[in-house]
Amino acid sequence: MTAPTSLDLHRVTVRHRGRPLVDVSDLRLEPGRPVTIVGESGSGKSVLAHAVMGTLDPGLEVGGAMSVGERRLDLADRSNRQFLWGRDLALLPQEPALALDPTMRVRGQVAEGVPGFRRRDQHATAVAEAALGRLGLADAGAAYPHTLSGGMAQRVAYAAATVGGARVLIVDEPSKGLDPASLDRLADLLAEHTAGGGILLTITHDLRLARRIGGRVLVMREASVVEQGPAEQVLDAPTHDYTRRLLAAEPSRWRHRWAPALPPADPSPALVTATRVTKSYGDVPLFEDLSLRIGAGERWAVSGPSGVGKTTLGNVLLRLTSVDRGTVEHAPAAGGGRLQKLYQDPTLSFPARVRLGLAMRDVVQRHDVAAGRLEELMTAVGLPPDLLDRRPAQVSGGELQRLAIVRAMMARPVLVFADEATSRLDLVTQEVTVDCLMTELSDTGCALLLVTHDRDLATAVADHHLDLGTPGRSRPSLAGILPA
Amino acid sequence: MTRLRMLSAGLLIALVAFALIGPLVLADPTAQHLDHYLQSPSLAEPLGRDDYGRSVLARLAHATRLSLVLGAACVATALLVGTAAGVASAWLGGWVDAVLRAVSEAFVAVPALLIVLMVSALASGGSVWALYLGIALAQWVEYFRVVRSRSGLVLGSPAIEAAGLLRLGRLHVVRRHLWPDLRPMLTTLASLGMVTSILAMSTLGFVKVGLQPPRAELGLMVTESFAFYDAAPWMAVAPVAVLFLLTVCFLGLRRSETVS
Repeated sequence: MTAPTSLDLHRVTVRHRGRPLVDVSDLRLEPGRPVTIVGESGSGKSVLAHAVMGTLDPGLEVGGAMSVGERRLDLADRSNRQFLWGRDLALLPQEPALALDPTMRVRGQVAEGVPGFRRRDQHATAVAEAALGRLGLADAGAAYPHTLSGGMAQRVAYAAATVGGARVLIVDEPSKGLDPASLDRLADLLAEHTAGGGILLTITHDLRLARRIGGRVLVMREASVVEQGPAEQVLDAPTHDYTRRLLAAEPSRWRHRWAPALPPADPSPALVTATRVTKSYGDVPLFEDLSLRIGAGERWAVSGPSGVGKTTLGNVLLRLTSVDRGTVEHAPAAGGGRLQKLYQDPTLSFPARVRLGLAMRDVVQRHDVAAGRLEELMTAVGLPPDLLDRRPAQVSGGELQRLAIVRAMMARPVLVFADEATSRLDLVTQEVTVDCLMTELSDTGCALLLVTHDRDLATAVADHHLDLGTPGRSRPSLAGILPA
Repeated sequence: MTRLRMLSAGLLIALVAFALIGPLVLADPTAQHLDHYLQSPSLAEPLGRDDYGRSVLARLAHATRLSLVLGAACVATALLVGTAAGVASAWLGGWVDAVLRAVSEAFVAVPALLIVLMVSALASGGSVWALYLGIALAQWVEYFRVVRSRSGLVLGSPAIEAAGLLRLGRLHVVRRHLWPDLRPMLTTLASLGMVTSILAMSTLGFVKVGLQPPRAELGLMVTESFAFYDAAPWMAVAPVAVLFLLTVCFLGLRRSETVS
């Protein structure tokens, strides 16, 4: 494509066994005017992106058409867009770390996307090097994907997707697993793409990213668009109830009864005391001479970019990981299963092959939980009882994380360590999950150790903050501990 | 897939019934009737008689029973020992893991049949116990290695860490995590192990270093029938057919190993 032309979608529908997944009327994507689709998981936004690309599962019935310039293409035919891939149409996939070939060096993967690529192509390699250099990855060309951080992998995937010169770029959930600094860099790249006359369609549940990109915003819910308009208007003065609900789910706007108050003047009795602990992986020091005291009922948030050692610190405090130097003491009140942990991926924290009911029964028996308490807790967090008949993989992430909260609460904990427990959930699900957790915690006076890269979430939940800063750099021996 | 498994299971049940009921109702497999030398199949003797006038059908029933019972015993022993050692190795680590791994690697370095031969050579020739011990020894390594690597993955997962924080104990880990994860693999390995055991036994009988005549054994029966293959082909075909069917049934019984 030489002259900037727009891309039009004509009434796109996707159905699975008759159930509509996507039903979106005409949509025009113009050069230099980015379009962003927001909505919760399962609203059909990713399905729409893949319907446009022609990468949907063949089991889904697709209807509608798209026109690129003069050409009109039927979306039901999955193969008619393949000749556009790379040259005109590119997709930046979810979780790029998984999309890259783990057995291939980064440079070679990017070079494959150069038009007219042949094996051992000097020209393509040079183009790939240049593309990586522009993204600040000049040194990463010879690296394998598993050695890259999430943000770097995303930029490599961006280079691979755009090196073919595609002007239509579809970006699918780019914020998943990225810390704010990496997301900022990506947003800059996307802005550059549109400024250069590119067409951009972004799918995200991150409203901050949607604000950064600007342009037009479409709000999707249950397969259809409920509201659309300029970003400022939709995201600041929404007219539809659902959009308001979505905006209210941002941690910075939460108003809950458990919202953090000023910490009490008298320190509460210590549960976990870490004294001058030092931990490093190989040559990379994570933290040195760090001292920390978590008292009963306190709510701590540990934040910082990925790879800085937040999770390791939490594991050290729970004595799940050994330290190089220093001591971690647990008060007697914290013994015997009173320290609990919530995981980033709850599916991995339950026995994979047995029904959830069996796994929960063992917890009930071990901790002498009163009859009916499990059902009571499940009702309190809004889980149906028949959930227990299913296996972990058959339950959605948000529901399973709430069941993990129920499981932790049955042990009558004094401290719960939530390790990025909501970072894979969309905004609305995150709010529901955090609300369940915090309600239970404040009802029982249990302390919280929240590890997150989302500073808004940390502010909304915690009364004590610990910022671990940047990895690999020297930090003050006692990192800045500030009250909220 | 399920139809294949149904068919295999049905055929296997028939073979097991033949092996269990046959020896009770059929004639004495060692009774010689030299006047019925190489008698052709008839209604009374569907598989005819061999060179000593013994009933081939009765001998076949005894040989099938021996193969199945000895095979099952070998597999059960190898499975128990291998699984216990594999779980212990993955769970305890340290010197237990180092010792068990070294022993298992020593076994891997020697061909399986050679292990069986060496054990047989140590015992008096043709002992059923020596054969049992030899085959079980040759097979436990397979279970050990598979169980050890799989258990290592399971025991290192966040689910086990969560179970530890909840103080759920070792019984919970075995019942809810390890066993449900290992069971499908172990049933597959066991059905393959039955095939290997039965074939190993008959191979040794065939080369006359396993069980000794006059015991009825499938491999021995094949060798003994060689001299008469033109005069009495039924003698050779019957044990070969049983071996073939047993192998096919056990292979057909396996579940597909795809993880849901």
